[in-house]
Amino acid sequence: MKKHYIIFAGLVLMGIFYPQMFPGYLSVAITLLLYAGWATAWDILGGWAGQVSLGHASFVGLGAYFVAVGTSHYEIAPWWTVLMVLFAASLVAYLWGRLTFKLKGPYFTLSTIAIAEIFRLIAINEGWLTGGATGVFIMTLPEPFGLDLFSRQVNYYLALAFAAITVLVVMLISRSKFGYQLRAVREDEDSAMASGINPTTVKLKAFMLSGALTALGGGIYAIFLSFIEPHIIFYLLLSVQIALTAIIGGRGTIWGPCIGALLVVGSGEIFRTTFAEANMLIYGLLIMVVVIFMPRGIVGEPARYLIRRVYAKRAQS
Amino acid sequence: MMFDYVSFLQNLSNGVLIGGVYALIGVGLTLVFGVMKLINFAHGDFVILGMYCAVLLNSLLGWDPYLSLLVAMPLGFMAGALLQRLVLSRLMEAPPESSLLVTLGLALVIGNILLLTFGAEPKSVNVSYASSTVSLGDVSFSLILLLAGLATMVVIAGLYTVLNHTELGRAIRATADNRLGAELVGINTRWIEAVVFGIGMALAVTAGVVLIPLLFATPTFSGAIFTLKAFVVTVLGGLGNIGAAIAGGLLLGVVEVMGASYLTSDYRDAYGLLVFLLILLLRPEGLFGKTVKRV
Repeated sequence: MKKHYIIFAGLVLMGIFYPQMFPGYLSVAITLLLYAGWATAWDILGGWAGQVSLGHASFVGLGAYFVAVGTSHYEIAPWWTVLMVLFAASLVAYLWGRLTFKLKGPYFTLSTIAIAEIFRLIAINEGWLTGGATGVFIMTLPEPFGLDLFSRQVNYYLALAFAAITVLVVMLISRSKFGYQLRAVREDEDSAMASGINPTTVKLKAFMLSGALTALGGGIYAIFLSFIEPHIIFYLLLSVQIALTAIIGGRGTIWGPCIGALLVVGSGEIFRTTFAEANMLIYGLLIMVVVIFMPRGIVGEPARYLIRRVYAKRAQS
Repeated sequence: MMFDYVSFLQNLSNGVLIGGVYALIGVGLTLVFGVMKLINFAHGDFVILGMYCAVLLNSLLGWDPYLSLLVAMPLGFMAGALLQRLVLSRLMEAPPESSLLVTLGLALVIGNILLLTFGAEPKSVNVSYASSTVSLGDVSFSLILLLAGLATMVVIAGLYTVLNHTELGRAIRATADNRLGAELVGINTRWIEAVVFGIGMALAVTAGVVLIPLLFATPTFSGAIFTLKAFVVTVLGGLGNIGAAIAGGLLLGVVEVMGASYLTSDYRDAYGLLVFLLILLLRPEGLFGKTVKRV
């Protein structure tokens, strides 16, 4: 576990100096960090608790809309709206989970799509609340400590902080009692119940944490884009992207979602000119290859191999 | 206010006819689920493939969309069977999520390849009879919708005959009932699965061809919508039950059209989803579920 913290510290340090080294590649890095954070947050529910959600765009949208509508319609500073949305997203996740956690496996996944679509339709149609189908512009933002929130550099550090927080949360969870409860529920709910775990409560906590963190990223995303559209931000494809990023990297691993984000955003950048708008092609091909040939993901598969070798050695000696 | 019977009947007939096409899409999905326990996320994109097949044949050879069924159906069948043998058969032992994720990947691949080949702008086929109607009393039926309903009935009747009156159909039903038992009496279930996936894809492609005079085909957005509709239809009736999928399709068509004209059309797509959620939560075995599949 210690080595994970060393890797984490090294990566954060590298992240801090990145803008000085590659000032021209800030937007790519922001996208990468946001996806890494979202995928890691998704993984709390999807990987550690084993409940595959294809509705996480709702939380991105919730975060983005709180921040955007807060600043443009009510002139509330983004840090207050972000605090508000942490509570709002947890509440939404709680109600959502209460409603659908009795569904298992693929049925749960289908229900998340349906609920997320309903959120999208609300965002498009309830113009008085959300600005409707045209979206919301963020024109002015306050300047805390003289920082210009519109500058790429500030956006970058916000995204870095978001990714670092989510990864840190997952690192803390992975060795905590809660983390073991999550894994127990994922592997076998009945056995988990037999050992005194309430699966629904554990899943609810995971969903609330996952949803709140995703919404936090959504708020930062809104500041980064400074223009949000319901068609994009609540769309099924964003949910799919977030989920696939984590699954490609490796579900239920600390670094899997980050590696997934690196791979997906990186290859998207490389093939940008070749495929233009068809960039989801890469997600499609990667997920097929990963699920068929390395079902535990790009990080999960070698990690499992290493662990098995360690155990084999221990058994020999 | 007097209740307007004419417009009510008009809406009802439109709903039933559209619902017939939904049923056609749903039947393919439910058949595949019943036999292979496979949740096919690419089903809606198969529908889009059918649409583009008709568009292509129309623009290259000037074929009428209904004529292109002769090409699209066998092609869809072969493509489906091949897909099953080459890709999906590798996942038979894997957890159910794996097949969901692979078909989701497949959906993205199909949608984006279509986007690369045909471009993002919506495509359709113009037919001379696009706005013709047939009147029955005060209620008028759109000719295209009628043809779509007719095609649906023919295809579903054909499927029914195959399933219930042929040796192949018996083998398919046996595999759906009890895979191991079917293997014990000498049915090659691997082959049956390829055939069933082929049939499922052929049905989806047919629905796409039938819909093209009515709707525009767009490569990436509409696939997911059809997949979702197919799931709504099948869950309405209970996954794996063909008769129920037909009823589910008709119900969805009517609910959508009625909801759009009597409540608000902004939420046209939401009515189906709400019903879908309610059924999932309250009656997971489906409205007409005798075969109880515990969720």
